[in-house]
Amino acid sequence: MTHEHRARRFGVEALTRVEGEGGLIVEVHEGELVDVRLRIFEPPRFFEGFLVGRDYTEPVDITARICGICPVAYQMSACHALEAVCEVEVDDALRALRHLLYCGEWIESHVLHIHLLHAPDFLGYANGIALAADHRAEVERGLRLKKLGNRIVEVVGGRAVHPVNVKVGGFYSTPSVAAMQDLADELRQGLEAAVDIARWVSTFPMPDHEMPEGTVLVSLRHPTEYPILGERLVSTTGLDISADEYLDHFTEEHVEHSTALHGRMLAGGDYLVGPLARFVLNADRLAPQAASLAAEFGLTPAERNPFKSIIVRAIETVHACEVALGIVEGYSPPARTAVPVTPRAGAGCGWSEAPRGLLWHRYELDDAGRVVSAHIVPPTSQNQPSIEHDLAHLIEHSLHLDDAALEALCEQAVRNYDPCISCATHFLDMRVVRS
Amino acid sequence: MTAAPQVTVIAIGNPYRRDDGAGGAVLTALGARFGDDERVRLVELDGESVRLVQAWEGSTTVWIVDAVRSGRPFGSFHEIDATCLADLDDTGARLGGGHLLGLGEAVELATVLELLPPRLRVLGVEGETFENGEGLSESTRRGVESAANFLIAEVSAALLDP
Repeated sequence: MTHEHRARRFGVEALTRVEGEGGLIVEVHEGELVDVRLRIFEPPRFFEGFLVGRDYTEPVDITARICGICPVAYQMSACHALEAVCEVEVDDALRALRHLLYCGEWIESHVLHIHLLHAPDFLGYANGIALAADHRAEVERGLRLKKLGNRIVEVVGGRAVHPVNVKVGGFYSTPSVAAMQDLADELRQGLEAAVDIARWVSTFPMPDHEMPEGTVLVSLRHPTEYPILGERLVSTTGLDISADEYLDHFTEEHVEHSTALHGRMLAGGDYLVGPLARFVLNADRLAPQAASLAAEFGLTPAERNPFKSIIVRAIETVHACEVALGIVEGYSPPARTAVPVTPRAGAGCGWSEAPRGLLWHRYELDDAGRVVSAHIVPPTSQNQPSIEHDLAHLIEHSLHLDDAALEALCEQAVRNYDPCISCATHFLDMRVVRS
Repeated sequence: MTAAPQVTVIAIGNPYRRDDGAGGAVLTALGARFGDDERVRLVELDGESVRLVQAWEGSTTVWIVDAVRSGRPFGSFHEIDATCLADLDDTGARLGGGHLLGLGEAVELATVLELLPPRLRVLGVEGETFENGEGLSESTRRGVESAANFLIAEVSAALLDP
């Protein structure tokens, strides 16, 4: 076998079942892993430059176009940052509606990823279509739940894709009680489906793997809630900062093989954002049924197997259904649809937890309320260095596999992070070179 | 429970990628004619496969409108049976904006789940530029106008066929 490992290079030319376009190159020399590079080759999106000169009301709708899967995340982070500049705080009732809208997006995104993007890897199918042919009932159950996520976004956000009802300060209009009552009925069924999905996913065969020792996990944190709309940023190394302090601790840098920036900690090292990081740092904030399922599956804050992120996504889906149901059941139309906003010159930062992880925005406005500068840090660019290191760690322990098996394992591992290359630029394609 | 509209027209595209906004522009033109007609659903999507399948569920005639880049003259438009998307691959044609996989997978998924409408057509408007920015090129603007007139006639005809 040794001679087969002397010269080995493999790759995925175009990674599938991730959002966007990108690739992966793995180089192995005489049985030793030499290099792992996640290549991003979609041209960068110049949204930040595109925003300069725009009115302060516009980034909410424009940044929603960065990604079709997580437009609400962009809208919420933009709102938080612009409201910080304008020194505005929304009413509790409006914040609850934002929370509900975001739950809809989490449900949609997580359910899509679980059923059509990632489950095929665990169950041995080439793609979601093949999975649907053999597991039709499970896929149909998932798609019904995804549709409920769409419905929530539509009721609160005005339409299911690229919502149009969100504005700085709140909403253009708020849902009727009747529409919310309909949602409540659907959510009770949806919650049952989410629990069944979580139990189904918990039975998937899990590769035995842990992320490299020392990987720092980073997530938002809220005093009482699981941190969809978190307030502080915390980490497994004890960081506890506000949005304004983000650039004091994190940076982005260019790397040759990617048109997306790579996130780094200024103190040194990579970090990981996303469902597993959120769970590890916020397991005590999960809604009751979600917390109960985590205990049933034996998941604890000590979990470091990135393949189990699919289980965490399923648990977070249950959480989102529980939270959404609570908001909908307690709904009465807010006293006002939005708080008044007067633009002012200055800079402000805001963030939220997109389905894939932390999404940070910073805007600077002039006296007339026009955007002077915009800075957006999406989750996938933050995760890219960690993904590369995790892949290297995985490959080092899996070189006994033939190229096809190794490539399949690597693709499955990349999908643990549900990379959204549309956000980071776009992604995926793989090559292994053994030499 | 309300009955599904007889006809669904789905626009795909991103208005911030210049001519990739052609689908949305066609949809806007259709809105003036069918905006209040309950038999017609007009919806703008990003091309993600599950959303497509769920948007057309229950309709007997479905049109998907998107910008394409196939090498034909800028501003021309073409219609094809969506179930023949593989043929588009063979000729090297691509739907603009990176949506082709989403639509192709939507057709496959709908086939497996028996959610394929009896008539599923794609109307592609040949785009000239897909760079970042707003506003259609002049050729695509003219193409949108012709495509919208064609589609208004097609939808009207479909509504006459119970």
